[in-house]
Amino acid sequence: MIEVTVSLNAGLRRYRPDLDIGQALPLHIPSGTNLHELLIQILQIPPAEVAFPMVNGIKCGLDQPLVAGDRVALWPPVAGG
Amino acid sequence: MYHGYTGNILRVDLSTGVISRELLDMQMAEDFIGGRGLASRLLCQELDPAADALGPENPLIFGTGPLTGTGAPATSRYVVVCKAPLTGTIACSNSGGFFGPELKFAGYDALIIQGESAAPVYLWIDNRTVQIRPAESLWGKFPTETEAALRSLTHPSAKVACIGPGGENLSLLAGVVNDGYRLAARSGVGALMGKKKLKAIAVRGTGNISLHDPQQFWKATLDMYQKITADPVSFGSFRAYGTASLVSLINEMGAYPTRNFQSDTFEGAANTSGEALVEGILQRNRACFACPIACTRVSEVKEGPYQGRGEGPEYESIWALGALCGVADLAAVSKANFICTDYGIDTISTGATIACAMELFEKGALPEQELGFPLRFGDAGAMVRAVEMTGKREGFGDVLADGSYRLAVRYGHPEFFMGVKKLEMSAYSPRVFQGMALQYATSNRGACHVRGNTVAAELYGIPRYLPPEVLEQKEEMVRRPFQNSTAFVDSTGICLFTKFAITHREICALLAPATGLDFNFDRSIEQGDRIWNLERMFNLRAGFTSEDDRLPQRVSEPAVDGPRAGSRAILQEHLQTYYLLRGWDKSGRPTRAKLEELGLDDWWGVCSDT
Repeated sequence: MIEVTVSLNAGLRRYRPDLDIGQALPLHIPSGTNLHELLIQILQIPPAEVAFPMVNGIKCGLDQPLVAGDRVALWPPVAGG
Repeated sequence: MYHGYTGNILRVDLSTGVISRELLDMQMAEDFIGGRGLASRLLCQELDPAADALGPENPLIFGTGPLTGTGAPATSRYVVVCKAPLTGTIACSNSGGFFGPELKFAGYDALIIQGESAAPVYLWIDNRTVQIRPAESLWGKFPTETEAALRSLTHPSAKVACIGPGGENLSLLAGVVNDGYRLAARSGVGALMGKKKLKAIAVRGTGNISLHDPQQFWKATLDMYQKITADPVSFGSFRAYGTASLVSLINEMGAYPTRNFQSDTFEGAANTSGEALVEGILQRNRACFACPIACTRVSEVKEGPYQGRGEGPEYESIWALGALCGVADLAAVSKANFICTDYGIDTISTGATIACAMELFEKGALPEQELGFPLRFGDAGAMVRAVEMTGKREGFGDVLADGSYRLAVRYGHPEFFMGVKKLEMSAYSPRVFQGMALQYATSNRGACHVRGNTVAAELYGIPRYLPPEVLEQKEEMVRRPFQNSTAFVDSTGICLFTKFAITHREICALLAPATGLDFNFDRSIEQGDRIWNLERMFNLRAGFTSEDDRLPQRVSEPAVDGPRAGSRAILQEHLQTYYLLRGWDKSGRPTRAKLEELGLDDWWGVCSDT
């Protein structure tokens, strides 16, 4: 098992309404878990709802395997100006 | 018979009191569309670009586009064009709300205000009846008060664009405020309105906008509404969180400039995020004319020292008054934003000027006895106090009201000015977004994100994803799908925020049935190119050179922290490629061939030597 942290932002906050804004949730997950598996198996968030998956501040694909200490942050489609 | 257009330009001379109406030159409309393009073209025939930006000869031009007020989605936009008091470049500030459509219903594609009044006046446009009226009783009033007073003096449904006390006291940060809360904010256009002693324009329009092919137009409009309301950004998160949804995301990327660009990550982002706004102070949304998105926030701080109510704060305002000043208190940021609206001053430039003052103070270059109080990064109370003093030009606010470039130079540290061509940069770090670095450096109104918001490609993937750090192809991306396309969109009267859901081509598909003119994709990109080059020629004639297409040294140095520590803005190599793609010479001047291609050579008379 490895430990990563996950933060949910904007409309995704409804999946963990108990978390404070910007709060990182520590999770213990099997080594080799990728983002897609994290979403489906652990967070129960439909991957289609995630537009901006960030690992350590870098946008990446859902097939990205996670390593110990990764900081995962997730957004639905957002935009601004 | 005009379609889409009204066919009329209203000219008001405040020096002589003469009011006249001119017919729109349709060839000019075909070449420059409307809004930003047409108003900029009119400016070039009215003014020698070398003239004093606060002189009576500098006209203040209000422009609408052929789509403004038509009822297609988000067709609320109008522009204010002049030579910019803050920067000396061409200015084009843009706003939504209801004022622009009303000006169109009253029968005008553009309004040219020239000369200067000796005493405060307002303009009352009641369809074809136009009067210059005394405004002594309005002087000193906030925009919401001005609007209420003018509605009792004119008509209960009049729409109002005005200046706040900031415009009256010639703050170079002043914008034009319409519908009480919305600003055509940047470049100091409100200072010119104040110099003309024009407090406000009240307009009532009851006319219709004729359409060339109504059946096709309404079909295209319906398609567009359906696309926007089915889009997860436009009708989902953008509606729910507004522009502020970006605070947490851009900060997570390490691209959120903090403490006058000394860092790109702000530890207080969560407290000042879109999520905090929605869960803390949001009262409701508000929409501009014919807009299904309704991204405007109506907020209220009900308790504590920063009580207030108004529109916003938007992403850029939260950033400039928040992270850029190191302030992590959403109530204080909101209060500062409301004060900026009351005084009619630009939140970006105001926040950036205070951030610059904070750095000068902390590094010992700005003595406390001149400021009157300590002004440190992160001091929410001091930030709010400085904003209010800036709006009033009170105490040290008299210096702050002239913007961060003049402030940094005055105290011997021009390197603390974080902008280009005297305009302060926006909330996307150019160390991270390489497209934005080139955009800031080359934008015709100075460092501005909305003249070519490359973050659309570098983050959202619109029109296609090019990661922020990638350098290849960025010159062409900045030039064509952003700068040229945006120049076109800004000229039509539709809001840029529709572009998350609809394409440039679909906007063309609205313009053709609206106007009866041959708008197609290739032609519209050429029109955007023509407008961009026209603005560039104005700036060259005003004295700008390629030396002004430069970023502050600080952002060319590696980011010190965050996930992208070590990244830096890379500009120099790209500038020459960009110039070449634009058809400009090595010193950034359009070649004769380029001007001939765009039909800009015959009337301008000044070309590149090559």
